[in-house]
Parts: sequence; C-alpha cells; structure tokens
Amino acid sequence: MDVWRSIILKNLNLFAEGLWVTTQICVIAFCVACALGLGACLVRLYVRPLRLPATIYIEFCRNTPIYVQLLWVNYVWPDLFGWPQSFFAAGWMALALQSSGYLAETFRAGIEGVDRGHLQAAHSLGMSPFLTFRSIILPQALLNMAPSIMNQFLVLVKSSTLVSVIAVPDLMYQAMRLTAIWFQPIEILSFTAFLYILIVFCLSHAFKLYADRLRGRYGLAMA
Amino acid sequence: METLAAGTARRDASPVPSDKGLAKAAEDAVVLRVSDVHKAFGDLKVLNGISFDLRRGDVMSVIGASGSGKSTLLRCINQLDPPTAGEIYLNGVPFGFRVDASGKRTPDSLSNINRLRQDVGMVFQQFNLWPHMSVLRNITEAPVRVRKMAKAEARELAEQLLAKVNLLDKRDEYPARLSGGQQQRVAIARALAMNPKVMMFDEATSSLDPELTGEVLDVMRGLGEEGMTMLVVTHEMGFAREASNRVMFIHEGRVEEDGPPEQVFDNPKSERCRAFLSKSYR
Ligand SMILES: Nc1ncnc2c1ncn2[C@@H]1O[C@H](COP(=O)(O)OP(=O)(O)O)[C@@H](O)[C@H]1O
Ligand SMILES: [Mg+2]
Repeated sequence: MDVWRSIILKNLNLFAEGLWVTTQICVIAFCVACALGLGACLVRLYVRPLRLPATIYIEFCRNTPIYVQLLWVNYVWPDLFGWPQSFFAAGWMALALQSSGYLAETFRAGIEGVDRGHLQAAHSLGMSPFLTFRSIILPQALLNMAPSIMNQFLVLVKSSTLVSVIAVPDLMYQAMRLTAIWFQPIEILSFTAFLYILIVFCLSHAFKLYADRLRGRYGLAMA
Repeated sequence: METLAAGTARRDASPVPSDKGLAKAAEDAVVLRVSDVHKAFGDLKVLNGISFDLRRGDVMSVIGASGSGKSTLLRCINQLDPPTAGEIYLNGVPFGFRVDASGKRTPDSLSNINRLRQDVGMVFQQFNLWPHMSVLRNITEAPVRVRKMAKAEARELAEQLLAKVNLLDKRDEYPARLSGGQQQRVAIARALAMNPKVMMFDEATSSLDPELTGEVLDVMRGLGEEGMTMLVVTHEMGFAREASNRVMFIHEGRVEEDGPPEQVFDNPKSERCRAFLSKSYR
C-alpha cells in the first residue's frame, strides 16, 4: 500500500502522459494503416501490372516481426529516405506498416465477399465500376469486416508497447522508467498491465456493441 | 442495306444487317433486336444462334428447362456477359459493339454500354437489393448518381414507384427486414426508376414462397398492361399464358418455339416443347 501511495498515485501524471502518447500513436498508426492497407488491397485487386509488388508489400508487412520493423524504420529509413526524424514518427510508421498488411487482407476478403448479384444489379443499372465500388462494394466490405478491422486496432494497441524500446514515451515506457527509478516492478508493472487490460477490454466491448448495433440497424444477422 | 429505326438516335450511320421486307413502321416499333446471338463459356456452347425482335409493348415469356440458357440470354442482352457472336440492338442502336468506317466490328466502350444499360431494367431471381441502403435509397441511387437526377426529384419518383408496388410504408426500411415478395417488388421499382425501354425478368418469382409469388406476378402483369415492353424468363406457365402476348421456348440455346401463347401451349410444333410442357403441367 505504501508503494501504491508513494509511487503510483504520486506519478499518475506520468502514467497519464504515457497513455496520451499511446493513444496518439495508436490512432495515427491506425489511420495510416487503413489508408496504406486499402491502397495496397485495391492495387492488388484492380491494377494488374502492379499486383506482384502489392502482394510482396502485403506479405512483407505481415511476415516480418514488429520488432524488426520498428528497428528497421527507426535506424534504416532515415538513411534511406531521410525520414522519420523522430522516434515518435518511427513508432507510428512501423506500427502502421505491420497493420496495413493485415488490413489489406481484411479489406480484400471484405471486397471479394460482396455478393456478385449486388454488383450485377449495379451494372445492370448503368453504374460505372468506380461508382459501383464506392456505393455498393466498399460500404458492404467495411460493414462485413467491421469486427476484424476493430480487432486489428486492438492488436495494434498491444503491439504499441514495443515502441518504448526506441524511446517513445508511451505508457509502457513510463512504466519501465518508473521501475528503473523505484525498483518496485511488481506494483508498477501490475498497474500498467491493469491499465492495458482495461483499455483493450473496454474497447473490444464497445466495438462489439457498435458493430452489432450497426448490423442490427440494417436488419442483418449478428457477426 | 437499310438502316434500322432511322427515327431513333443512332450514333453512327453504319449499315446494319436486318430482315429484308419488314415494313418501316414495324421496324420503328422494334425496341429490342436479338440477332443470331451465340455465347460460349470456353468449350461449353450455351447459346447457339438466338434471334428475335421485341416490339414496343410486347410481353414475351421465355420458357425452357433449367440450363437451357435463359439466364445467359438475358445477361448477353445487357452485356453482363457479352455474346461471343451476333448482335443486339436497342431501339436500333448497336448494344455492346461498334462498327467503324471500314465495317469492322469492335467491342463498344464501357461508358457507351452503361448508357444503354440504363434503358434495360433487370430483375433478378435473388432480388439483389443492396442491404446497406434503405428501400428508398436502393431506388434513388442509380437515378441520382447515374442519371444525375436531383435528389428531391428522385425521392418523389421513388415514392411514386413504391406506391405503385404497394410498399410506400416500407420506404425507410432496410431490405433484410422485408419478405422476399416485398424485396422483389422493391427491386422492380428500382429498375423502373431508370425509366427503362425494356424490362427483363429472370425467374423473378422462383425463389419466393408460393404464397408470395402472386404479389410479384400482379405487379408484373400490371406493368405489361401499361404497355411496358417485357422479356420474362419464367416457370409460371399461368403468367406466360395469360399475361404475355408471345412465348418463346428455348432448348439447348436455340429457339424451338416462338409464337402466341395459344399456339405454343396448345399446339407446339416441337416435340421437345411438348415434352417440356407436359412435365411442367403435372
Ligand atoms: N459464367 C459461366 N461460366 C460457365 N458456364 C456458365 C456460366 N453461366 C452459365 N453457364 C452455363 O450455361 C448453361 C446455361 O445456364 P443458364 O443460362 O443459367 O440456364 P437457365 O437460366 O436456362 O437455367 C449452364 O450449363 C451453366 O452451367
Ligand atoms: Mg436461370
């Protein structure tokens, strides 16, 4: 209890700061991952000549460990591309890279899963391929894949703890720092674990509720 | 050589093969011409030279055994599956191909095909309503985005059509909450919203429970009575006999019978048609 009062409560501001960095990095990484993933998936599906490069990109992202990607983006990219110049940017970029590979496959499954009859109905009304994609395919793909997409966000939250190794001051980083200062790993790390559990648990239930309500609104079976 | 339907908008003045001796007036009334259409999937020959003219106001029922190529024919007509050979004309305009100055035939551009598709409504066995859009939005989507109709105008049109198919109270509902018969009536309204010149139905009632087929057949019958030109693939022999003025029997991708219902049903020339009908009227 002493530890609780003297370390955890006294340093709640540090935990909060870490949490805020974690939130930022996850949200940025996820948005970038969605854009990259959708792009890669569209290229793979619809741009014949670039199918191979897109496939290689997707497989690369999915099949390299996040730790390797993190170090690679952080130490190699600045020399190769002159970017990123901050640990923070390297952190979200590496996370986005990995997630984009998984999201690309999720989007693909969603797009390929759209009933062909729905597309024929669109074509028979004179809709162009682009309009069909925008109005019919993409909304349905997102709706059907919502649980997987949200799950990918939770995976990303958990992976984000790794950015602490390149000195991004996220929640995990703050916890490690406090541990190094106070030598009370049991309390500090347990509290940190508790925070992550709380976040992931709440988000996953909120997402599930949202996905079900969405499907319920359209009168569709629950995913 | 003579040109087809000179009164309608032709995009090119290339010669068009047509039956000789047909009166000009009759030619004018030909809404859909299917001329020697063949379709093969690899080695599988599904359509083997189908020809017919559909005149304004014709309601033609297409009957035939499962696998005889009826769906493929409809899909060839609106180029969902382009024919391997033969021609389709919509109001005299080549549908899916272009003839250049030297007489060479090439596939038409997708945007031209899409322009013509707007004039051919299609109703599917599986309804194919878009599940993420309300009933109203299912109907207004194409008029607004393809025909560039104002949203308010499209909405009004959709409500008129929904009233016509008796579903005005369902306008804000989503398709998954409708019965099959209701979904199919929405699908008919969706096709009608583009103000098509021809309506094609591919076994529109085949996936419905028997007690729901009536409401859909009634809508179709009503359309025919209003003078809509229709091509109706169906297993409903009652509809074919009473609501259509022509019946075509297809066997293995060929037209075996084409005539008024009385002739095809009561006095078929083809032995196969007779056998098919005796099986259909058990
Ligand atoms: N896309 C396709 N690829 C290969 N074969 C097809 C395709 N579409 C239809 N077929 C074949 O064409 C034949 C006729 O099919 P269809 O036109 O659906 O018949 P019907 O509607 O009269 O029952 C069937 O043998 C079917 O397997
Ligand atoms: Mg069929």
